Amino acid sequence: MPIISLKDVSKLYGFGDATTVALDEVNLDIEAGEFVAVMGPSGSGKTTLMNIIGLLDRPTHGQYKLSNRAVEKLRPGQRAKARRDRIGFVFQSFNLLPKLNVLDNVALPLVYRGVRPVKRLKRAADLLERVGLEDRQYFMPNALSGGQIQRAAIARALVNDPQIIIADEPTGNLDSISSLVVMELLSELNKTGNTVLMVTHNPELTRYADRAVYMHDGAIVHDQKTAKGQIPQLAKKTMQLFPRRSEEDDLAGVSAMMELLPQKDGSKAKKTKSKKAKKKSRVKHKVKSTKDKDV
Amino acid sequence: MYSGNYSFALRIIRRSKWQSFFTMFGIIAGIVSVVTVISLGQGIKQQIVQQVSQLGSDLVTVRPGNVVTRDKNGDIVEVNPNYAYGFGSGSLSEDDVDAIASSDNLADFSAISLLNSGASSGDETYNSGFVLGTDVNFPSIINQEVEFGSYFTTGEQTRSVVVIGKRVAEQLFKENVPIGQSLTIRGQEFIVRGVFEEFASGILGQGIDLNSGIYAPRTQLNSVAPQSTQLVRVLVRPDQPANTDKLVKQIDTKITKLHGGQKDFAVIRQEETIQITGDILNKLTGLIAGIAAISLLVGGIGIMNIMLVSVSERTHEIGIRKAIGATNRQIRNQFMAEATMLGLIGGFWGIVLSYLVNYIIRITTELKPIILLEVIIFASVVAIIEGVIFGTIPAIKAARKNPIDALRNNA
Repeated sequence: MPIISLKDVSKLYGFGDATTVALDEVNLDIEAGEFVAVMGPSGSGKTTLMNIIGLLDRPTHGQYKLSNRAVEKLRPGQRAKARRDRIGFVFQSFNLLPKLNVLDNVALPLVYRGVRPVKRLKRAADLLERVGLEDRQYFMPNALSGGQIQRAAIARALVNDPQIIIADEPTGNLDSISSLVVMELLSELNKTGNTVLMVTHNPELTRYADRAVYMHDGAIVHDQKTAKGQIPQLAKKTMQLFPRRSEEDDLAGVSAMMELLPQKDGSKAKKTKSKKAKKKSRVKHKVKSTKDKDV
Repeated sequence: MYSGNYSFALRIIRRSKWQSFFTMFGIIAGIVSVVTVISLGQGIKQQIVQQVSQLGSDLVTVRPGNVVTRDKNGDIVEVNPNYAYGFGSGSLSEDDVDAIASSDNLADFSAISLLNSGASSGDETYNSGFVLGTDVNFPSIINQEVEFGSYFTTGEQTRSVVVIGKRVAEQLFKENVPIGQSLTIRGQEFIVRGVFEEFASGILGQGIDLNSGIYAPRTQLNSVAPQSTQLVRVLVRPDQPANTDKLVKQIDTKITKLHGGQKDFAVIRQEETIQITGDILNKLTGLIAGIAAISLLVGGIGIMNIMLVSVSERTHEIGIRKAIGATNRQIRNQFMAEATMLGLIGGFWGIVLSYLVNYIIRITTELKPIILLEVIIFASVVAIIEGVIFGTIPAIKAARKNPIDALRNNA
């Protein structure tokens, strides 16, 4: 029994001649425990799909069953409660509340659940420890780095023990090292049983997923199971095949191309990993050298 | 379950101190004005009650003008404000005084006539008072002591002597005890032989400050300005308090007869005086408080305005909160809490400021405003209710925002 089941789900914006089809009769079943990477160019409907699955948006047509329960029948209050208890969001732009400190931000979903202050702060602190931010509890979000903010956001997404984590380009605003940390976190969550849905432009990140879904013009054009740690072949090609609309897409295309190059020499996965490691060490080195200068 | 709405609201308010201050200013101003007006009215009423105890409850006042309309039982049904304020004049004559003097059950009486005139002394002129023609009974019937010197005696009723109120001494003679000095009324020189103790305000009626009066013998004043003085009061005291009603009826019948059956005068018992001044005061206080209440309304609209701005400014925040599971009701409560908090804090400072204004009035003027606990409770409740009422529309607006649109609004 799939935890998420979409049947002929469409989303239209505008009306008359100005109607745009954001989702075009999408059918998608996701089993509990899957790690699904959703790929596709800008405007292909990835985010709209995430918003509908995450109960932030309603489909114009079609049926969406969450844990075999038709979502259309839920009242707004029940939808909010489902968002609160069953779904954790991780956004590209983090979306922490700037007026609250990290601890309060993480504890906020518990506020809406009606958990007592002491209990909810304790729980938030535990989660911050889990994402490695135990010493940043009382920082305001603007005093943290992007990677730290995203880790806090993940802690917030986890605070209500949701079955489903929806991450919409979680690494889109992060440098590669922070991306790595965030991806490892998501991967770890997946291992402990969470269903993870992740939108990404970066084909490299599909290596963490065990299923890749490709979208174009509001439709799912390809759906592929992959082994963890592998970048599916199509992920690399997709970026080149589909027309690009933004600079971001171009960049993603370039990175896809770069991934294709070392393929001739052997296994790409290991290669990229070592490349990553190199990058990491390079940055570390840089930090070291600047430190030396300061001294 | 405590959700931290109020502490969050406090944080928001503290973060934008000036904006919050200007938002609350309307409420503060409204509360200060309403509380002050009502307190002033209360203070004056309190003073009137004190006068009653000074004058004695059995004192009967005969006044010109149809001050009150009575029903069959003699109870006041309406106060006619045209006659009730100030001295009034014109409808009492010496014949009426004689009629009163011949009443039964009469212990004492004192007729008072008014010359609406100032006085001069040397180069100084005094134009902010009045001259009253009285007789020897006057101080005793209103229970007022002469602080310096003494009142004129029966033998002096035809001599040019005066006793003056404190204000006259200060303003005309620039000293506290100008006994032996003289002042001129209508070209006639009068010698000052006494200064009254400070009068409580409004003893003879609302709007009369007896401290700025010059008290001359009535007979002498009549001869100095025979066509200009007018009888304004006859104060009567019965032999026994139990006979007050009898006396009132007697006087009423006698004067009505003398006036050809027309009720162009009023015979008023002391407790009715309170009723009359209370009635005038209530009308006046109510009117001004009503006007002041408009600023309370404006204050509430200020809260609504700022909350509407706040809601649209924080659309993205609302989106985030909804995404992580806030229900419409929880979002609404959050903004309601904020508006209520604005009202509450505004109300608090309004009350604090009211006490300050009260204090300033007390030390700078003669008035003794009284802030009643009821008024404070009323003001607080009004402030909170205003926050709730005027916070509702913005809060509902916030709650109804579509989560995805709100989240996209990344201002």
